[in-house]
Amino acid sequence: MKKFLNLLTKEIRELMTLQLVISLVFTFVLFYFIGQLAKSEADRAAAPQKIAALDLDGSDISRGLLQNLRSLNYVIEPAAGADREAAVEGVRRSDKNFLLVIPPGFGEAVSRFETREVETYTFMRSFAMSAVRNSAVFRAVISALNRYLSDEFLKKRISEIPPENLKNPIKSKDFVIIKDRQAEGSAGDIAGFVFGQSIFVPIILMMIIIYSSQMVISAIAMEKQNKTLETLLTVPIRRSSIVTAKMLASGLVGLLSAVIYMLGFRFYMRGFTGDMTSGAEVSQVIKDLGLVLDARGYAILGVSLFFAILCALALAIILGVLAEDFRSAQSLVMPVVFLVLIPYFISFFSDIKALSLPVKIFILAIPFSHPFLAMQNILLENYQAVALGILYMVVVFIVLVGLAARIFSTDRVLTMKLRWGRKKVVL
Amino acid sequence: MSTVLNVEGLHKFYGNLEALKGISFQVEQGEIFALIGPNGAGKTTALRIIATLLSPSQGSVTFLGHDLKKEPEKFRKNISYLPEEAGAYRNLKGVDYLEFMARFYARSASEEKEFLARARDIAGLGDRLKEKVGTYSKGMVRKLLLARALMTKPALTILDEPTSGLDVINSLEVREIIKRFAREGISVLLSSHNMLEIEFLSDRVALIDKGRILDQGTSAELKDKYRAPNLEVVFRSALK
Repeated sequence: MKKFLNLLTKEIRELMTLQLVISLVFTFVLFYFIGQLAKSEADRAAAPQKIAALDLDGSDISRGLLQNLRSLNYVIEPAAGADREAAVEGVRRSDKNFLLVIPPGFGEAVSRFETREVETYTFMRSFAMSAVRNSAVFRAVISALNRYLSDEFLKKRISEIPPENLKNPIKSKDFVIIKDRQAEGSAGDIAGFVFGQSIFVPIILMMIIIYSSQMVISAIAMEKQNKTLETLLTVPIRRSSIVTAKMLASGLVGLLSAVIYMLGFRFYMRGFTGDMTSGAEVSQVIKDLGLVLDARGYAILGVSLFFAILCALALAIILGVLAEDFRSAQSLVMPVVFLVLIPYFISFFSDIKALSLPVKIFILAIPFSHPFLAMQNILLENYQAVALGILYMVVVFIVLVGLAARIFSTDRVLTMKLRWGRKKVVL
Repeated sequence: MSTVLNVEGLHKFYGNLEALKGISFQVEQGEIFALIGPNGAGKTTALRIIATLLSPSQGSVTFLGHDLKKEPEKFRKNISYLPEEAGAYRNLKGVDYLEFMARFYARSASEEKEFLARARDIAGLGDRLKEKVGTYSKGMVRKLLLARALMTKPALTILDEPTSGLDVINSLEVREIIKRFAREGISVLLSSHNMLEIEFLSDRVALIDKGRILDQGTSAELKDKYRAPNLEVVFRSALK
């Protein structure tokens, strides 16, 4: 045990280089900074928009329109100047980005049910994300104006019927059924809520697998590049301990890297989407449908993730033996990356049950697919599918570790190279 | 003197390539035994087999009575191996590297201290041991590795081209260290291209070419047998 800990400590020290620490800190700070920037932009966009208005009509209708916009949380300020040119110039010099011009005769034309144009001016002061958001402001304003005017017309013509009943005579009462449970709510809201809550699981899994695999392949490649592997293999410690120490150290450092990366990523995502919380109504529906992970669910998911990581580490250690140096190690990570990305994207965009049989078999044969599917299966109480997935990963792990241990206990650890089957031999 | 290492009829195949064709030799306690031969002769393969890195295809290797195939761990406890192109962990300090290696062999904290004190003495790197290996010159790394190989006073030290890439002064120091430890009872099995070095260092020599031992004996015996002034001429004559 003492020798194993000695080896494990060395492996961790070798992996936790200053470059890695700097890179992790930099990534975290960068994501945090971008997230904060996006959040402040989003807050600014969500704040009441200031709109300068030039009412050249001056009718009751135009005044009513502007009053309606105020009630919808827009800050309507009269534009400086008596004509269009002066108003444009005034807004150009101000901190406002929007100008609404209501032309003369607008109220009269509208009262005759004739379509009239209002002029909107958006002052683009940059091409950043805020400028894109600005473009939506007038769309919302025009939509609000149209709604107001049509409601007013309908009230005048058919005063006994509420305008809303005329425009939307059909309303729906939505129910969602999952297995034997039923609850009132929208399928879209529920799917969105579950997606929002579980979005991080596949991302975390992908990060951990890729980081850990990269670490273990690099650890072996560095031993070869620095010409330390031969010496290490002659010290009095079991070869299986060398394999285990490398896997464990890489797993731990990979996990740490992934956690730091994910924390940064969470800040980044919050900046764009805000906190992924939902209203009490949806939360109640989710509870009624049993779509909440309890302690047992988390434990099963954890076991599934754990075995996926073990499979990745065992596969990576075999790939690491093929690496000649650090550079070749980078390309050897690619098979692992592909094997993770395939189920990652499929779990995002598709339902595996809907795929054709050959594709389904291919996906299920990839051990990393099972934790991606586990979250959905646990929520839907398909525990048998989760258990079979875990069992499959255990079998794959045993086979891969056995293979890795065999490689490390034979000449192959020194003679195997990725030379398309040819062996390089030093006599 | 007792026999420490006994190699009998050792063969090694890499696929269809026969790298060793039944070589046999013995190394006695406190003896420096050298394998000399050109590139591709099979020296490194033989050393790697004895160091438990490669498995023999045929033949036997016994070390202090233990069979290589059955008890490789007994070899690893009492043998140290210095490969020709060995390196040390660049992110570790020299002293940390020595500590890391010593912990595999030491049975107690006091023995670990003893190993480290000896390693410091052999390496002769002074305060540079507190710096990272990545900052060392090739000569410094080689001395560090030699210190690692000898600090535990193994029953057998295997040195593949021990002065490879070193300048004259460093080579001389390394040779003197090897001689000193052999006098203290450590057996040394080494390989080299450098015939003069072999002549200076070794008690006995085996001439190896294309996986076969052509001849073996002391430098004096071989020079006498081939009526040659030095081992280089001996080797050329043996090849004929």
